[in-house]
Amino acid sequence: MNEFKIELIKIRRSHIFWILLIPAAMMWIPSALNADVNFRMNDIGISPEHNFFIQGFMGMAWFMIPAALIICTVLLNQTERTNKGFLKMLSLPVSTGRLCLAKFLVMLLLMTVQMLFTIVFYYAGALLASRLEDYDFVLELPYVIHGAAMIYLAIIPMASIFWMLAVLIQTPIFSAGICLASIVPSVLMLNTKLWAYYPMDYPFYMLMTEYGKLAEGVFTTEIKWIPMIPVSLAVTVLCLGISCLRFGKTETR
Amino acid sequence: MILSLELKKLRRTGYLPIFLGGSILASAVPLVNMTVRSESFTSLPGDSFPILMDANWGMMAQLTILLVVCGCCLMYHTEYADKGDLKMNTLPIRQFSLFCGKFGVTLLAVVLSLLLQSASLAFSSIHWFADRSAGLKELVHSMGYELILLLPTLTLMLFAASLCQSMWISLGAGVILTFLGSMIHEGRLMLSLLPFAAPYRMLHAVSPEDVNTCLIICGAQTLLFAAMEMIYLDTRRKFA
Repeated sequence: MNEFKIELIKIRRSHIFWILLIPAAMMWIPSALNADVNFRMNDIGISPEHNFFIQGFMGMAWFMIPAALIICTVLLNQTERTNKGFLKMLSLPVSTGRLCLAKFLVMLLLMTVQMLFTIVFYYAGALLASRLEDYDFVLELPYVIHGAAMIYLAIIPMASIFWMLAVLIQTPIFSAGICLASIVPSVLMLNTKLWAYYPMDYPFYMLMTEYGKLAEGVFTTEIKWIPMIPVSLAVTVLCLGISCLRFGKTETR
Repeated sequence: MILSLELKKLRRTGYLPIFLGGSILASAVPLVNMTVRSESFTSLPGDSFPILMDANWGMMAQLTILLVVCGCCLMYHTEYADKGDLKMNTLPIRQFSLFCGKFGVTLLAVVLSLLLQSASLAFSSIHWFADRSAGLKELVHSMGYELILLLPTLTLMLFAASLCQSMWISLGAGVILTFLGSMIHEGRLMLSLLPFAAPYRMLHAVSPEDVNTCLIICGAQTLLFAAMEMIYLDTRRKFA
């Protein structure tokens, strides 16, 4: 717990909150201003307010949330690098595995913050759209939170993969580059049979199933838990295990 | 001179592997797409090259933009880590020439990446659309056009990377801009010519009279961002 608090203090002046806040805010402004397109979706049976919610969250789940995760891995891996702060941290009488897990937890906390920002701005956008279009775009809070929570849970396996890559690969931009490249084809992977073995498409999968429930013939309506849960558990445990074992090993060699 | 110096600096940073890897990934997009779903594309009427571009360029452009973002962040990160930039400032060269060198390196990398991607597009066109004209002339024109459309993105990203000492801020800014660009590129012509959105435009989808406008606007943006870097360096020197 102490390590967790210290990690939070370290990122206090990192401006990461702006990087999490700006995309969440920018996401909803254009979709609120263009809210009239949501009335043209009647042929697939989705209501305008649900379409507004899904379309907005799509951009977040497909690109921005994974990308924000990658930025967080860079941040957590780079904060102590100046003036050999990383070596000083490793010289403390704390196990490196705990330090590594503390950083991972901070990453998850930052993602929680981003999810909260997204929900808050969703409501702001929905209110603005309701005002502009004279139609109630606001969905009830439990539904929105449920949707966001499913996406959030689906992020965790991906987060552990990104964190493992950031720990294993020493050149910071190299790991970030691999991770960024891995999220671009996630939409392609989602449409293949192998989607369950590619954790980068889980958040988008969650959202698309929700979309499938609301609109006809867009996507499957049931989440296939069976390959997904075991694979994601295995991936998370394996990646976190490897990163805890390898954390700081190159520096202390 | 400055260009070879910049290339030397990048030797052990993983710059070349990431650009090669990213370019190979981008080049793999049309190949994979055609292998998996060749019927749905070969059944379409018209020339082969526009079909290939419509199907694949969005993803290829996004990968190229992300490569540029990563490359720019990395190049300024190596300067700011261990205070290399201060050492550079003591050398008898203009500070702006550092920017020019980095611009040259990124341009070289982007050209190489586009060459690889064109090779893959040309191969797909010849292999899967054997009965139609390969459209190699269109390919060369189109890729040259994309290169010019990528220039503002490149310059703006280098400028942003030179502003931020911590890499996660420049990388974050780049990724956010990529995200915004991918949202606005389908809108009006002027909006879609902003940096990070422009590279999604395709030559065959632009009407001939708009092509020159696009090129001029992109050239002007490039010069503008380079000028902003000059002004920034000047002010930083005055207030440092």
